[in-house]
Amino acid sequence: MHRAQLIRSGTFLWALAVAAAFALFVVALFAFIYWKLDDYLVARSDRMITTQIHFIADLSPARRISAIADHLDQDSRGVQYAGLFDAAGTRLAGNIDHLPRAFGLDGAVQGVRLDLFDKPAAHVPVVRAVGRRLDGGDVLVMGRNVDETREISSVVGQALALGLLPAFSLCLLAGVWLSARAQRRVEEVNQRVQRIVAGELRERLPEGKTDDSFARLAKIVNGMLDEMETMIGALAGVGNDIAHDLRTPLTRVRLALERGRTHAATLEELQEIADKAIAGIDQSLAIVTALLRLTEIENNRRMSGFGDVALDEILREVCDVYEPIAEDKRIALGVVSDRNVQVWGDRDLLFEAVANLVDNAVKFTPPGGRVELALEAEDDTALVRVRDTGPGISEQEREAVLRRFYRSDKMRHTPGVGLGLSLVAAIVKLHGFRLIVGPAPGGRIEILAWTGRAGMPITRRNRTLLHADACQMG
Amino acid sequence: MNRILLIEDDAETAEAIVAELADRGFEVQWAADGVDGLDRARASNPDAMIVDRMLPGMDGLTVIEALRNDQVSTPVLVLSALGAVDDRVRGLRIGGDDYLTKPFALVELVARIEALLRRPVDSCETILHVGPLEIDLIERTARRGERELDLLPREFRLLEYMMRRNDQLLTRAMLLEEVWNYKFVPATTNLIDVHMGRLRHKVDGSGETQLIRNVRGSGFVLRSRQ
Repeated sequence: MHRAQLIRSGTFLWALAVAAAFALFVVALFAFIYWKLDDYLVARSDRMITTQIHFIADLSPARRISAIADHLDQDSRGVQYAGLFDAAGTRLAGNIDHLPRAFGLDGAVQGVRLDLFDKPAAHVPVVRAVGRRLDGGDVLVMGRNVDETREISSVVGQALALGLLPAFSLCLLAGVWLSARAQRRVEEVNQRVQRIVAGELRERLPEGKTDDSFARLAKIVNGMLDEMETMIGALAGVGNDIAHDLRTPLTRVRLALERGRTHAATLEELQEIADKAIAGIDQSLAIVTALLRLTEIENNRRMSGFGDVALDEILREVCDVYEPIAEDKRIALGVVSDRNVQVWGDRDLLFEAVANLVDNAVKFTPPGGRVELALEAEDDTALVRVRDTGPGISEQEREAVLRRFYRSDKMRHTPGVGLGLSLVAAIVKLHGFRLIVGPAPGGRIEILAWTGRAGMPITRRNRTLLHADACQMG
Repeated sequence: MNRILLIEDDAETAEAIVAELADRGFEVQWAADGVDGLDRARASNPDAMIVDRMLPGMDGLTVIEALRNDQVSTPVLVLSALGAVDDRVRGLRIGGDDYLTKPFALVELVARIEALLRRPVDSCETILHVGPLEIDLIERTARRGERELDLLPREFRLLEYMMRRNDQLLTRAMLLEEVWNYKFVPATTNLIDVHMGRLRHKVDGSGETQLIRNVRGSGFVLRSRQ
């Protein structure tokens, strides 16, 4: 299985392709050299025999025969051809058996088959030869065997075998090695990933010492894993918070029931205990309900409930609901809204968001204070501002208040589930609006809304803000 | 005596509901699954039904759908562990008349069943009377006997709702949903109490019989009889 994978692997196939291309290139190179060399040798022997034929032809007829004999004697390798024939074609001197048919006698060099006079061979070589008719009617032929080129080709072939085969094998070996290495790393990554999938979140991919693309990829993935580990850690923290917040009322219920069971003497006492227990359980349920609501909003990506919503109406309605409560606490609650402002959104959710903000403001503002709801419209944005004379949210707490279950230490004993602002943040995020928490002292929270339809922000400013918002809220 | 059909698969929950309703003078039939429930609903024609959403065999919404297709308009209260607004909307759209999320208080269940059984008919009357109270829906005026009541619009709306359902227990959740149109539970738990306190202060003057009664731990009742 491993071998098949190795051969199919990309690295190996690439190595194979490169080796093949290399081999092709080298073969072409050698072919070119061979062709050029052959050309050169033929041209050179052509020149030589042309010089020789001129030399011998210029001699006196008496000396020609001895000159031819000398010429042939000096040729130890037996590559030289020479022949002198009379007008009838009878051989007078030299080693050429007979004049070949259709042999041009105009002094041009041609390739022709020539038989040797003394040793007729089975193989008649092709010879470069030149012929010339002399003054007396005799015919002089000079030639040279160019079979040397065959030797050269065999040398070239050997060089090819010696050079190319090892190079090709080396390529293949390198391919096998690289692909095996890549596969080993993939296998290692796979094992680590399997461990991560199995829940070992601290596991990371091997980055190695080199700075190749594989190591960089591993580094990128490791960075992502770091992020995810942090996020999962944060989620687990939320889980702990929930467990803790649920545990508090449930502990009270348990203690009350346990004590009531042993100590209650009358029906009234027992009823009192039961009431306490029910109240504790109701508080736990309120936490669960709020949490489910938050999840519902956070997961809600559909815009089914969206329509044109009049923000000024919502503000007035919320004010209407909370007026008596504020009055009971001697807090002045008022709405400042100069005109009708419409946004594209879910009416119920926006109402819930504003109601939550006002609820918080009224809850945390000391008696005698003020809570002011304001609506400002400008160009294509609308700003809902809830301001109060309460303690406000300090710099350090600003991020934290948007987290689930966060309740400032000072507020630990104020009743509430601690999910209010998280809910507002989730609703604002769903609408693509922006939540701004103002600096203390005095509470100030703003919702920046777009009055254009969601999904088509009108100005560039909007887009930048939306983007910043997405970054901020993650 | 009103006959109620309860379709609920959890035996313990069913037992508690049956016992409570029986105590309140209802005659209760119990079916443990959807198929049986549908058969009983067709056979006995109850006055109201309580249907759990998740049932073995045939789920609650399918049962209601089947009944509505048969032109049966028996009021149905849907019980569900699914509390999301979307689930609620789906439950009501399919033909449920009211929707209660588990876990719920028994008082809440009984109040809602009673409200379903005594659903006010939309009358063309523009003047409502309950005991010494009288409101004029067109003039937007209210009086108790000879005394004119100076009500804010939200107080008028609350009183109108209560007068249409006199002598019925109205829970905080019902008031939030129906009068204030709330789709969520507000963080401030005594929201309704504060509003009711205001209205009560205006309706029940000193020395007068209390018409608006606070039922401890559950809600409010507007009494027609002194």
